[in-house]
Amino acid sequence: MKAFICGFGTIGQGIAQVIAEKEDYFQERYGQPLLIVGAMDSKSYCFDKKGMDAAELLENKKTTGRVGDRTYTKPEDALDSVDFDILIEVTPTDVEDGGVGMDNIMYALNHKKDVVTVNKGPLALKYREIMDLAEENGCLIRFEGTVGGAMPIINLCKSDLAGQKIKSIRGIFNGTCNYILSKMDNGQPFEQALKEAQQQGYAESDPTSDVEGYDSACKVVILANSIFGRNATFDDVDITGITSINADAVALAKTNGMVIRLIGEVSATKLEVAPRLIPKGHPLSLPGTLNTAEIITEYAGPITVSGKGAGRLETASAIMSDLVAIMDKRIGE
Amino acid sequence: MIVNAELFVNDLPGQLIGSLEPISLVDGNILGVVHNRDKIIDHRICVNLTFEVDERHLEELKDLWERKDIIISNLGSVHETFTMDYILIGDVNAQYIEGLLKKINEATTLDEVNVRYSSKSIKTASHTSLISVKARYEDNLDKIDAILRRECKRANVTYVRGV
Repeated sequence: MKAFICGFGTIGQGIAQVIAEKEDYFQERYGQPLLIVGAMDSKSYCFDKKGMDAAELLENKKTTGRVGDRTYTKPEDALDSVDFDILIEVTPTDVEDGGVGMDNIMYALNHKKDVVTVNKGPLALKYREIMDLAEENGCLIRFEGTVGGAMPIINLCKSDLAGQKIKSIRGIFNGTCNYILSKMDNGQPFEQALKEAQQQGYAESDPTSDVEGYDSACKVVILANSIFGRNATFDDVDITGITSINADAVALAKTNGMVIRLIGEVSATKLEVAPRLIPKGHPLSLPGTLNTAEIITEYAGPITVSGKGAGRLETASAIMSDLVAIMDKRIGE
Repeated sequence: MIVNAELFVNDLPGQLIGSLEPISLVDGNILGVVHNRDKIIDHRICVNLTFEVDERHLEELKDLWERKDIIISNLGSVHETFTMDYILIGDVNAQYIEGLLKKINEATTLDEVNVRYSSKSIKTASHTSLISVKARYEDNLDKIDAILRRECKRANVTYVRGV
């Protein structure tokens, strides 16, 4: 099968690396490789219908800052350059209008290509439209990495917990906020903790999406639509960020055996992102950058999952599982 | 309702079962049983029971025990309470909190309310405060939540609630 990678930043490079490392795995499982026939970043693209060497793509990106030598004005020009089966869409999230990720996904589905994405914007804004288009054109679309990075949650609920009702999901869906709040547990003021998160590479230079809860809200919408069958959009989420959490509040919580964590909550009737008081020792009181989710099920009771919410190879692991799921369906194990 | 009972049964085989059967007969749900063999009074052994039962069947249950020659030495109800904590951050002072609690009390019944303020800001007019409530019914917490959400939004106060 042939894949086109849209977005060649940290995640795009990570999945290119993993696909190359797992060459034997694909060959053994399907009797054929998964070829990277195209790759594009914000400035350039490259393609080869026979497949490209991932190591060369990575080296090119490292030395020139570009994945390819060709430039484009419209992304579809790059996507039109070569035939492929699966679009791996890993461009940055844009919650305003879905950004280039929306265009790429729509292009792929309109051209009957399967899609694997970790881009939250398109799914948070037009989930139902995207799913309907995929169904209409007989395409498969998977997006495990959009929520919780390496932490399995969407496929867990849809496959492993299939047949029973998921009553609610509550979780820490933003590692940056959790890092900041964990640092505040130890007495650091918000601004200092944020600065440290930026220096450590956990927070963007513009942290608005994280600290205002927008990133978590996107994930809540994706869970609401994919797990609970709702037709929600970003605007339906009741969002409170962590910018008003001060040292006083954290200390008061601590004195009373609790911590403050930014929790996303989704159920058949609720869509919320807000700072919440969590008793110490509760699964949602985890410190650091980990993502955690508590899934309340009909028969299995509460199930807690946890994992790294971001990172080059961590997110690539979620993409990998989606690629395998699609290839299983298209080729068979 | 949840009930704790201390019974004294004859120290004979089958008497423990005999003390439990009436609970089932009134559709009660046994939550805990402690057969206290160290506490023997007048050839009777102490049995501590905790069970859930419809309040309307309690008298019938007492009759059933008495007919089985079981002595009820203590019978008390325990009601389940639901707790929730809220931290309010912003221009909050004791008078504001008092007003909030008044509104909550008008809308619902609370078993217990506890308000604590952060020590750092206690000398100033505004505080970060922690309100802990205990309510008899879970619905009451929803009502409190709705009031706090509305009032805090109106006053531009951030409220952080428990889980």
